[in-house]
Amino acid sequence: MESVGAFVIGGYIGPLAIIVLAVLPAAVVAGVARRLLRVSLLLTLPIAISVVLVSVFTRAGSTVLFQIGPFDATLEGVDFAGQTLVRLLAISTSIGLFGLTTEPRSFVLDLERRGLSPRFAFVAAATLEAVPAMVERAGVIASAQRARGLDTEGSLRARLRGVLPLAGPVVVSSLTEVEERSLALEVRAFGRPGRRHLLWRIADTRAQVAVRILMLTLLGAAIVMRLTGTFPALP
Amino acid sequence: MSQTWVRAIVGLVAFFVVLVAGINVTGTLDVTADPNTGLIAAQNTIIAILFVALLAGLIAYAATEYAQTRRLDSITRQFDTRTIVLIPIAIAINIVLGQTVAAALKVPIYLDSIGTILVGVLAGPIAGAVTGGLANLIWTYVLPAPFHSDYAAPFFIVAVEIGLLAGIFGRLGFFRSRPNTPPARLAIGAIVVVAIVAIIGFYGFVPFYSSGQISFFAPPAEGAAAPDPVFVILGWLVALLVIGAVVGLLALLFIKRDLGAAYVFVAGLVVGIVSAIISAPISSIVFGGVTGSGTDILVAAFQQAGSSLREAVLKQGLLSDPIDKTLTFFLVFAILGALSRRFVARFPQGEAAVGLSEG
Amino acid sequence: MLELNGATYRYAGYARPVLHEVSLRVGDGEIVGLVGPNDSGKSTLCLVASGLAPASIGGELKGTLTLDGTTAAGLRTFELAERVVIGFQNPNTQRSGIAATVFEEIALGPMNLGLPVVETVARTRDAISRLRLEAIVERDPQRLSGGQAQLVGIASLLAMRPRHVILDEPTAQLDPEGTRLVGEALEALAARGTSLLVAEHKTDLLDRLCSRIVVLDAGRVVRDGSAGGVLDDPELRELGVEPPARVRLTRAVAHAGGDPRALEAVLR
Repeated sequence: MESVGAFVIGGYIGPLAIIVLAVLPAAVVAGVARRLLRVSLLLTLPIAISVVLVSVFTRAGSTVLFQIGPFDATLEGVDFAGQTLVRLLAISTSIGLFGLTTEPRSFVLDLERRGLSPRFAFVAAATLEAVPAMVERAGVIASAQRARGLDTEGSLRARLRGVLPLAGPVVVSSLTEVEERSLALEVRAFGRPGRRHLLWRIADTRAQVAVRILMLTLLGAAIVMRLTGTFPALP
Repeated sequence: MSQTWVRAIVGLVAFFVVLVAGINVTGTLDVTADPNTGLIAAQNTIIAILFVALLAGLIAYAATEYAQTRRLDSITRQFDTRTIVLIPIAIAINIVLGQTVAAALKVPIYLDSIGTILVGVLAGPIAGAVTGGLANLIWTYVLPAPFHSDYAAPFFIVAVEIGLLAGIFGRLGFFRSRPNTPPARLAIGAIVVVAIVAIIGFYGFVPFYSSGQISFFAPPAEGAAAPDPVFVILGWLVALLVIGAVVGLLALLFIKRDLGAAYVFVAGLVVGIVSAIISAPISSIVFGGVTGSGTDILVAAFQQAGSSLREAVLKQGLLSDPIDKTLTFFLVFAILGALSRRFVARFPQGEAAVGLSEG
Repeated sequence: MLELNGATYRYAGYARPVLHEVSLRVGDGEIVGLVGPNDSGKSTLCLVASGLAPASIGGELKGTLTLDGTTAAGLRTFELAERVVIGFQNPNTQRSGIAATVFEEIALGPMNLGLPVVETVARTRDAISRLRLEAIVERDPQRLSGGQAQLVGIASLLAMRPRHVILDEPTAQLDPEGTRLVGEALEALAARGTSLLVAEHKTDLLDRLCSRIVVLDAGRVVRDGSAGGVLDDPELRELGVEPPARVRLTRAVAHAGGDPRALEAVLR
C-alpha cells in the first residue's frame, strides 16, 4: 500500500515520510528491520547506480556542475536523481516488508478464502513452486552442457552459444510435463465449480483490520493532496 | 458463425464509440507533431483513451456473447485445466529466462515474454493477457527474493498487451509452419516483409532518430554542433542491425522454404512497436527511465543527444522492443515446432495456431 | 463395475485409431491385470477406461464406457473424478505443484470435491495409514524419493474414495517393499468392492493380485482369462510379455525332468 503511495507522491518529503513513519516502525515491530534494510538496499543498489549516472549526466539543465567527456553533470540532474532514489527506496522497502513478513503460500490461501477463484489461486501457488524448480532444472541442464564443453562465460558469441541450447531444453521439457499433470489434476476433481473448504484459516486480528483501514485512509488522503497540489508532482 | 460476427461487430462499435467519446471529452487533441521529434503532444492521452476503448470493446464482446448464449464459452474455453497448468510454467519461463538468460547475455533485450506468448498462441488472447499480467504482478508481489523484482508490476499492462496480441496472431495462424512454399509465393512474402520494414523504418524510425539527413541520434536542438561521432557510429550500427535482420530473414525464408518465418517476423515487429509505445510513459514516470537493464545506456545516450526523458525512453523502446519481440516470437515458433502435434492440438487454440496435422 | 464395449479410439489430429474393438469388464471387487508389449495401447486403454479420453484429451471414441451400469459419455472431468480415478507412471507429473506438505497434497482431491473439512481430514488420514506414510506427512512433496512420491500419488487417489481405480504402471519406481505395500492397499480396496484395472510389467505382482488378466497387442485384446490360465499360456512370451517367476521356475523344473506339481505345492 505504501508502495502505491510512493508512485503517487513526488518530491522528497512524501517518500521519506513513508519510509520513516510507516515502513520502519512496522518492520521493527515485526523484528525484520535489519534484514529489510539489507535486502532493499541490495536490490536497489544496481538500479540506483544507473539512476544516478543516467540522470545526473543527461538531464538537461542550466547549472552545469562539471563535465566528463561529452556528458555534463547538472544540478537539475542531481535533484532528479535524488527524488527518484527516495521514491525507489520507498517502493522497495515497502514491498520488501510485505515479502519478509508474509509467507507467500498463506497469502495465496488467504486470497482464496477472500473469494479469489481456486483456479487463479492454483496459478499463483503453482508459480511459487515452478520458478525455483525451473531454476534447478536449468542448473542441471547447464552443468550437463558445461560437461559437454559449452561455455556460459566469456565473449558474447560464446555466451550466446552457451545460453540458447540451455533455454531450449528447459522450456520444452517443462512443457511436456503439462499434459500428464493436467490429467492428474483432473482426476482429483480440479476445476469442479463451487467453493472448497480450505484446511487452514489465517488469523486476522482487530488490530490488523484497524491498521489496514488507517493505511487505506492515508493513501486516499495522499491521492487527494497530490491532486490538489499539496504534494509536488512527479518530476 | 453469424453470432460470432455480431459479437465482433458490437465489440468494434463499442471500441470506436468510446474512442470518439474519449477524444471529445478530453477536448481538442494537439496532434501537431513536434518538429524535432515527430512526437504528438497528446500522446499519453491517446494511449489512455485507446486502452479504455479496448477494454470497452472487450466487455461489449463478452456481454453480447452472454446475452446470446447465457455463457461465456469463448472466454472460459481458454481456461481449461491444461491451460491452468501451463500458466505457472509459462510464468516461470518468463521470470527465469528474463532474469538469468538476458542477464547472462548482457545485451539490451529482455526475453521475458516467451511464456506469455506461448500461452497466448496455444490457449487464446484472454489467457495470454491473463498470463502476462499475472506474471508481472506475481514477480513483484508474491515471489520471494532471489526471484523477486520490484520493477515488473508497473509494466503489467504491457505484458497484458503482449499476451493479447500474441493470442490474436495465434488464432489468425501466424505461427503455422508453412513448409515447401513455392518460390514464387516466397518471393511475394519476402517483398511484402521488406516493404513493411521499409515503411515502418522510413515513417516510424527515421523521423525519430534523425533531423532530416540520415544521421541517427543527431541532436535535434537548433544551433547544435555536428553530432558526436559516437552517436553517428551507434546510428549506423542500428541501421546495419536492421538490414542484417532483414537479410537474415530472407536467407531463412529461402533456405528453409517456410513462409511461416515471414508471418512470425511481422507479428513480432508489430507487438514490439506497440509494447514500446505503451511502456515508454510507465518507464519514464515511475522509474525515471531507468530499469537497471542493459537498455539504460541507450536512454542516457538519447537524453544526452537532447531528447527529453520521455522521448529518450520511447526512442530506446522503439529500438529494443521490436528486436526483442521479433527474437522472442522466433523462439516461440521454434519451441512450437519442437513440441509434438498431439500435445499442441489439445490446447484450446492449438489446432488453429499450428494447423492440422497431415498424418 | 466398469465395462468397455467395442471401444475403438483415435487421438485428435491422427487418422488411424490406436485401439480396435476393445471389450473389457472389471467387476466389483475384482482386480484385472493388463499386460502387453510397449506401444500395444496399454496406456491409451487406461485413458479410455478412465473416461479422460475423450473427456479431457479429445479424440474420437466409438463404443461405450459404462460405470456401474450408467454411461460415462458426456460426463465432465470433475464428474468422472467422483466415479473413476487413474494413476500414472511418473510420480513427478502427478504432484499438484501447490502443496507445501504431503498431507496437503493428499488432501487436495477431497478438498476439490467440496467436502467439509472434517471429512477431508478423515479421508486423508485413512489414505496415509493405508500406505504407511505417517513418517513423511510433514515433508515437502517436491523433496521425496521416486518411490515415496509414487506412494503419495497413489494415496492421493485413494483419498478420493473412488468406486473404480485404474493404474498405469503404478510400481515402476518402487522397491520390493513399496511394491508389497501397494499390492496390499489394492487388495484392501478390492475387498471393499472397488473395481481395479492395473497395467503392469511386473507379472509377478499381477500373478499374486489379479483374478483375471487381459493381454493387449497392437490395440486389440488377444487374451482375456483367469490369471493362472493367461500367465501359464506358452505363447505369452511371443506376445511380448515376460511370464512370472513362478511359471518360469515350474517350466525349468519340468524341463530338467523334475515334478512341477511338487514345486507348485511348495510355492503355494
